[in-house]
Amino acid sequence: MGGGVRMGVAEAAALDDATLVARSRDGDMRAYEQLVRRYQGPMYRLALRIVGSSGDAEDAVQDVFLTAWRRLGQLHDDAAFLGWLYRTTTNQCLNVLRKRKPHADTELDEHESAEPRTRPDRAVEVSAQLDALRDALRDLTPEQRACWVLREVHGRSYDEIAETIGTTQQAVRGRLARARAQLAEVMAPWR
Amino acid sequence: MAVTSDYDLPCGRDVEQVWEVMDHLDPHTRSCPHCATVRESLLVLRAATEELAREEVEPPSDLVSRIMSAVRADVRRSVAIPLPGDGLARISARAVAAVLRYAADGVDGVRARGCRVVEAAESTGADPVIEVDLSIAISAGVTAEVYEEVRRRVLAAASARVGVRLARLDLVVSDVLEG
Repeated sequence: MGGGVRMGVAEAAALDDATLVARSRDGDMRAYEQLVRRYQGPMYRLALRIVGSSGDAEDAVQDVFLTAWRRLGQLHDDAAFLGWLYRTTTNQCLNVLRKRKPHADTELDEHESAEPRTRPDRAVEVSAQLDALRDALRDLTPEQRACWVLREVHGRSYDEIAETIGTTQQAVRGRLARARAQLAEVMAPWR
Repeated sequence: MAVTSDYDLPCGRDVEQVWEVMDHLDPHTRSCPHCATVRESLLVLRAATEELAREEVEPPSDLVSRIMSAVRADVRRSVAIPLPGDGLARISARAVAAVLRYAADGVDGVRARGCRVVEAAESTGADPVIEVDLSIAISAGVTAEVYEEVRRRVLAAASARVGVRLARLDLVVSDVLEG
């Protein structure tokens, strides 16, 4: 996970998750802050990809880390902290989307990039493909999008995704298949 | 691992089957024009997905401090809760938690595990309000009505036995007891 690795210099002797979780459970807020620094990046990106707006993503991540702090006592396996974060973040995002009015056009700002307009052709094409992919992701159902993002972008296991969404591995594969087919259709103009 | 989809191709295969042989084409895919078209779209999708995964959108620089402020505030609010009255008398959150755990234990097939009590943001000395995270273990086979019963008893215990209002009860089943 990029977010953690780049902290490396400041935390030369970075402690492993299980150690930090155990210390946090005893009320060590500095240990918990290290966990927050380590995983806020990937959780923020996951949330942004699922909910589509940076404001909602920030709120979701803040809620997730506060909830995680409160529930450290319920985590049976200290080393499982990251998987637990993925589950909590995904569910928090799905709840945010459920609370949104159906089809309400919430402002989605994920791809307001400040990149300059003049770019080499290849870069323009890549950027156009990315934009098309982001647009197509919005047209998936929230659960399909969550399944696809967790699997294809964050590399989580089918098992873990099934547990997160509260369904079977088979159902996850089905949602992924539909998502992939729908996305591939949108990418067809670039083939 | 075939998953039936609505994206069937005229050749009888579906998109997922093409995806599964992306990197080791079978004889059919090598010669089928329908599969070839889909395969090219999937290759574009795969490349775009890699770009998306490479993107390192960073959270706002103050997100860590916002999270930690919320955690610190939560810790302060979890030490002691004001009792109704002039706001000078306080009761430890642990003592309140013990009362609430006991109330949950009164429901058949339920064992309270962790109970975390914090003072709610809207709480005042005149009107103390708490928020509670309660995890319970349940016996295998208990019905959903049990949760409502736990909720009812915990709410009642907060107001009748402690004298505080319970604004939020987050109930989590953390374990199922077999037998």
